[in-house]
Amino acid sequence: MTFESCQITINNSRKQMVRGGKSLLATLHEQKIFIPTACGGRAVCGLCKVKVLKGGGPLTSPEKPLLTQQEQANGFRLACQVKVQGDLEIEIPDDLFRIRRYRARCSKIEDLTDDMKRFTFELENPKTIDFTAGQYIQLRCPPYNGSREGVTRSYSIASNPQENHHIDLIIRRMPHGICTTWCFEHLKVKDAVYFTGPYGDFHLRPADAPKIFIAGGSGIAPFVSILWQMKNNADKRKAVFFFGCNRIEDLCLLDEMKRFEQELADFHFVPVVASPSPESGWKGQTGLVTEAVQRSFQTLRGWEGYLCGGPGMIEAAVRVLAELGIPQENIYYDKFA
Amino acid sequence: MKRSPSEIKLEQMLRSSKLVAGGFMGNDPRTPEEIIRDDAAALQRLGRTAAEIAQRMRTLTNTARAALGNWVEAEGKYRLRSEEWKGMLICPWPHPGRFEKRLTACRRLDTGEEIVWSDLNIHLIEAHGFFEGKGSPFRLEPETLVRILF
Repeated sequence: MTFESCQITINNSRKQMVRGGKSLLATLHEQKIFIPTACGGRAVCGLCKVKVLKGGGPLTSPEKPLLTQQEQANGFRLACQVKVQGDLEIEIPDDLFRIRRYRARCSKIEDLTDDMKRFTFELENPKTIDFTAGQYIQLRCPPYNGSREGVTRSYSIASNPQENHHIDLIIRRMPHGICTTWCFEHLKVKDAVYFTGPYGDFHLRPADAPKIFIAGGSGIAPFVSILWQMKNNADKRKAVFFFGCNRIEDLCLLDEMKRFEQELADFHFVPVVASPSPESGWKGQTGLVTEAVQRSFQTLRGWEGYLCGGPGMIEAAVRVLAELGIPQENIYYDKFA
Repeated sequence: MKRSPSEIKLEQMLRSSKLVAGGFMGNDPRTPEEIIRDDAAALQRLGRTAAEIAQRMRTLTNTARAALGNWVEAEGKYRLRSEEWKGMLICPWPHPGRFEKRLTACRRLDTGEEIVWSDLNIHLIEAHGFFEGKGSPFRLEPETLVRILF
C-alpha cells in the first residue's frame, strides 16, 4: 500500500504536501522540521510529542505510558508512532521551525579531566547558529565498530552565543556508552560531524533576582554559555555558581571561572570537592554540593535557582533550595534524562 | 526446540548495538533463552532468586544515589558510588521500559571485589531473569552477585 500524497497542516497555517507511509517524525524530518528525539523513533524517550488535531489514527499502546492523561485528552501523540496515512493537522511549538541540521568540522578536542573533554565544532553548513545560552543540540553518532545504525544524543552547548560560527560541547565519558565512546575514541580533529538544534528552554530568566547555579560534572556546560551571555550583556545581576565534584582532579575550567569572576559585576564561583585527600591541601568547600549550599546561606528567599546534572543531584538540590526559600516555580533545571 | 519469531527478533536486538555499544550478548554463542535458563539454574544452586538480587541492587543504588556521584560507605561493608549521565537506557524487550542512565559501583571493603551495574541491569534481572551474555561489559555473574550482595 502506498500513500502518494498527504497534506500536513501545521499550526493551522503552514501546509506541507508529503509522501505518506512513514512515521510523522520521519516525515517532518524530511521536511526539515526537526522534532527532538533521543531514541530514534522507538517510543521510549517520549521527546517527540506533538499535538495532533486531526488524523493520525488511534493512540498506540507504546505511547500510553509516555503521555499523561491530560496530554492524551489534549490530543498529544508521539510523532514516532503516528503513521502518515492521510491528511493530518498538527500543532508544534514555533521554536521548532528554528531548528536546523548542521554539518560541522571538529576543530579542537581538549582534555578537561580524565573522563571529560571539550569538543569544538566549526560550522560549515549553515555557517552560523543562533542559540540561547542553556540550550542543547542533538549530535549524530555514526555507525562504528560493526554497528549498522547511528544514534543521536543530546549535549548542552558550552560556548559563547555571540561566537556563532562554532559550538563547544563538554562531554563526560560513559563507560561503553555508544556516543561518548565514539567521541572519545573515534572522533578526531578535522572529522565532519552532524547535529540538529538548538533545542530546549533552559535559559536565564530576565528577572532581577539573584541567581544560584548548581551543577556537577558535565552539568557545567550550559553555565559556561550562560556566563558568556551575562558577560556579553554586561549583566550586573548577582550570580553564585556551586560546582560539585568528587576529587580535586575532577575540577575543570577554573581559569575560565576566575576570568568570569573578574569580568562580571557580581559573580562568584564556588568549587566543592566531596573527598579531597588530606595531602592535597584543599582549603575550599567539601562534602556534597548541596551541603555546601546549605552551609553558605541562611536563606535564598528572593533568588532563582538553576540546576544541571543527574536526576539524583537535581532532586536533592530542588529540596535544599526549597528549604532555603526558593519557590518551585523559580527553580529551573536541565535534568540529565 | 523451534524458536518463535519473537525470540529470534529479540536475539537480533540483543546482539545489535542499537541500544548499547556492543549489545547485550558479548561473544556468548548461546541464545538468550539458554543464557536465562542457565543463570536461573545457577541461582537455584545458590539459593537465591532474581527478585532478591534485584532488590539488593536497588537498595544499594538508592544509598549510593544520595551521595550525588561521590563514594559513600554503607552497611559497614561496602563502598558505593552512583554516577549519572544525560539520557535513558532502554530495555531491549518489546515493552515500554526506560531507565535513567546511571551506573552504580559496589566495592566490598573486606575483599576489594567490585561490580558495576546500571538501573537497566536491575530491570533485566528482575523482569527478564537476564544477566547478559558472557563477554558483555555489563554481564553480571550470578555467583559474583550473590557473593558480593549478601
